[in-house]
Amino acid sequence: MIRNYEGDRLPVADPDYKQWIDIKQIRRMGRAIKMGVAASHMSLEAAGIRNPDAIIMGTAYGCLADTGVFLQKLVTQQEDMLTPTAFIQSTHNTVAGQIALLLGCHAYNNTFVHGAFSWKTRCKTACCFWQKILPAKSSRALLTRSQNTHIPFCAASDCIKISLRQICCTLPRQEPWQGGGRIFVLSAEKDEKSLAQLTAVEMLYRPASENETAQQLLAFLQRNGLQPSDISLLLSGRNGDERSDSYYEAVEKAIFNDTPVGAFKHFCGEYPTASAFAVWMAAGCLQRGKVPQEAMVKGDAPARVERILIWNHHQAKHHAFILLEKC
Amino acid sequence: MEKLMQDLKEQIIQQLNLQEVKPEDIGDDQPLFKEGLGLDSIDALELIVLLQQHHNIRIAKPEDGPNIFYSVRTMAEYITAEKARQA
Repeated sequence: MIRNYEGDRLPVADPDYKQWIDIKQIRRMGRAIKMGVAASHMSLEAAGIRNPDAIIMGTAYGCLADTGVFLQKLVTQQEDMLTPTAFIQSTHNTVAGQIALLLGCHAYNNTFVHGAFSWKTRCKTACCFWQKILPAKSSRALLTRSQNTHIPFCAASDCIKISLRQICCTLPRQEPWQGGGRIFVLSAEKDEKSLAQLTAVEMLYRPASENETAQQLLAFLQRNGLQPSDISLLLSGRNGDERSDSYYEAVEKAIFNDTPVGAFKHFCGEYPTASAFAVWMAAGCLQRGKVPQEAMVKGDAPARVERILIWNHHQAKHHAFILLEKC
Repeated sequence: MEKLMQDLKEQIIQQLNLQEVKPEDIGDDQPLFKEGLGLDSIDALELIVLLQQHHNIRIAKPEDGPNIFYSVRTMAEYITAEKARQA
C-alpha cells in the first residue's frame, strides 16, 4: 500500500497495539511506550525467550513529548491536581520500566537518553554487561551488544512495520524526519534463531575533518582484523542533505572506492536512533544472504554478503561505526 | 442526580482513557474497582484529581475513598452532599 504524505515530518504508522498489550494497560501508555512494549514482545517472541537477563534502552530524547505535556500541566495547574498517568508517561525511562513490569523482569534495567549517541551507548553498555556483570555464556539481553567480543545477535523485532517501507522523498534538502521503535535480543551464543553477529560498535565525536573520519574508520576495521576490501557492503547514513552526503562521499572516495555502498534512510527517514534501523536491515541482509538493489547507492548489490559496515553520522559530529557479520 | 451520573461516566472515561468503554457500559451501581470496571490504585488517584478538576471537591479523609468511589452513584451522592455543604 502506498500512502502519500506532505511536509518534512512523517508520522509513524501505528499497528493495532492491542494484539500485544492488554487494553487496560494500553490506556496508560503514551505512543513511545506502546511502540517499545510492542517491539519488545515481537523481538522476544522471535528469539523464543520469555525473560531477558537485562533490558537496555536507548532513546534519543526520552518521552519528551509526554514530558512536555506533564510540565505544561505543572505550570498551568500551578503544581496542583497533577495526574499519576501523566507523570508515568513523562519519565525518560518509562519504556524500559513498562517492559520490565509486563515481563516481571527484575534484572538489570537501564535507559540511555543521549541524543544521537543513545543507541550506540546502549550497545557499549551491553559490552560491559557481558564482560563484567554476566560472565555466563548463555546470557541474553533485550537490546544491544558489545565491542570485540563477537556476541551473536539473536533476533530482532519486526517493528519496522511501524515505519514506512519506503519513502519517496521529494524534499530538496533531506529525508523527512521520522521515528520508529526497534528492539533486539542479543545472546552470547548463536542459536537457530540468530540473525547475524554484531561484531563491533564504536562512536566518534566531532572529528576534525573527513580525513580524520576516514583514518578512524580504517583504524576501526584494523582493530577488528579487517581492511576495506573485506567489507561486502558499506551501509551509509545518507539522508539526502547535500551537506551531509558530501561528507560520506569524501570519506568513501578516500577508503571505500571499490566497496559497494548502500543506504537506509530512504526507507526509514532521518531520526537520532536511525542506526538501529540500519542494524535491523543489515541483519536481515546477512541472514538472507542478499542486499536489495533498491538499497544500493554505488555499485551493484554484492553477490555474497559476509560482512556489513554501517556508518552513520549526525551533522558530522556524532559518528557511529557498526560491524555485523554473517553467523 | 441522573444528569450528574451521566456526566461522571463521561468524565471517568475521559480521565482514565478507557478506550472502547461507552457511558452506557457503566452501570450506576456497578463497582468501579476490582470485579466491576476493573480500576486500580492509580485510577483511584486519577478519580481524586477528577473530583478536584471537575467538581472543585477535595477529599478531606482519604479513608473515605473506598466508599466514595465504590460506584458512579456513590460518587454522585458524595458530590451532591459536598456541594450542599459548601453552599
